[in-house]
Amino acid sequence: MYRAISLMVLAMSLLTGNAWAKTIVFATDATWPPMEFVDENRRVVGFAVDYMEAAGREAGFTPVFKVVAWDGIFAGLAADKYDAICSSVSITEERRKAMDFSIPYFEVRQALVVNRDSSADGLEDLKGKRVGAQIATTGYFAVRKVDGIEPRSYDEIGLAIEDLYNGRIDGVVCDDPVAAQYALRNKKYRDSLKIGTIIESGDVEYYGIAIKKGDTETLNLVNEGIKAVKAKGLDKEILNKWIGR
Amino acid sequence: MAEKQVTIEVSDGAAIPRTGDRGLVSAWRLSFLIALALFLYLIVFRQEPYLRLLKLLPDGIIVTLEVTCASIGLSVVIGLFTGLGRLSRNRLVNLVASTYVEVVRGIPLLVQLFYLYYALARFVLLPDMAAAVIGMSVCYGAYMGEVFRAGIQSIDRGQTEAAMSLGLNRMQTMFSVILPQAWRTILPPVGNESIALLKDTSLVSILAVSDLLRRGREFAAESFLYFETYTLIAIVYLLITLILSKLVSLMEERLGQYERP
Repeated sequence: MYRAISLMVLAMSLLTGNAWAKTIVFATDATWPPMEFVDENRRVVGFAVDYMEAAGREAGFTPVFKVVAWDGIFAGLAADKYDAICSSVSITEERRKAMDFSIPYFEVRQALVVNRDSSADGLEDLKGKRVGAQIATTGYFAVRKVDGIEPRSYDEIGLAIEDLYNGRIDGVVCDDPVAAQYALRNKKYRDSLKIGTIIESGDVEYYGIAIKKGDTETLNLVNEGIKAVKAKGLDKEILNKWIGR
Repeated sequence: MAEKQVTIEVSDGAAIPRTGDRGLVSAWRLSFLIALALFLYLIVFRQEPYLRLLKLLPDGIIVTLEVTCASIGLSVVIGLFTGLGRLSRNRLVNLVASTYVEVVRGIPLLVQLFYLYYALARFVLLPDMAAAVIGMSVCYGAYMGEVFRAGIQSIDRGQTEAAMSLGLNRMQTMFSVILPQAWRTILPPVGNESIALLKDTSLVSILAVSDLLRRGREFAAESFLYFETYTLIAIVYLLITLILSKLVSLMEERLGQYERP
């Protein structure tokens, strides 16, 4: 009897792999290709997903991704609905006041996407026009900073790009890998949109994993994982797969 | 007979226990006072961050009211014609009006708005405000149509017969005999639909229209002050709808002066 039970336990632990590894639930607004998005098989995939899975293997945690709308993603973290946010969150001073951040795992700038025939080289050229961005993103903050532009906030970046494509707005500001995905690689948009400029006035931004203030256990695990991924050069492989710079 | 008559005054909570009860404490007064007191408390005594948020709201309130007023006007017109169409003896007109009601009632307003704005963009590029007003009006026009139909049907056939026997044609009968009487029955539910419409304008924020709700969402998502933001937004919506519902019940009272014996 005793032997049977211990055999069962052994078998179970072999089957489930590292069954004792901590599970970390990451919230993600999976509408941000190529960083994190839902593929045609309705799985959450992307650069950040692969990155966190690699980090999990290195540091011994199992990442689980939960799709959450961007609009309420920070409120959910504060309300303990999940352990962390892995959703291309740029580390900003305002956000640091409300949550903790892991060490950076990616570097971005803000890019301006415009129609192919547009002559706009920067946001300054779009004064008196309408420029869209996703609500409460650093891209939207950048648009709002410029006087004379009518800022338009969308729930999803894809809707802003569609409105630009349809001609209701004259530009969209978002993180450069996302801009490149839509303007250079997307079949529908690449022939009519282009990247106007990488906004120089804005500083370099870093993506971090947002974690509830004070949750040092999760923070340390995630940091350990990111460090290991960088040290082993795994991030280069993931970068090649999704972004291919 | 007068005391047995059932009066529908749904838009004013005061009428539920006893019609004509205009005591000091009515549901409307209670909610309005609580909302106003809370609003003033937050703005005057708490100030931060409510005052900061309030300064961002006037544009949003104006957009919400613009969409509401334009949509109420347009949907009443659509509703009148739909209601008449639903009662028409002309088979084609009847079919068109009835199909419109069936189709529009069967599609969620949110989906209709997405459709008008993003899907129809392939054929016609509606500006955001136009899409918002058309979307709200087409949807509520169908509901209003049913209200008009029911209101017109509630008028005794004898009225039509009497008018016809006096030599009025169908058009004159409808517009100078039936509708003026039906309006009393129609107004309360039209008032309710208008209040519902006002609340549903919050859906147009998905079209990137900077209405009251979107202003709040932008503030909340940036400041992480979700409790404070949505508390104030809810109070502002409540104050606006309460004022609108008061207007409707005042109109009802004026029309009530011509109450049939």
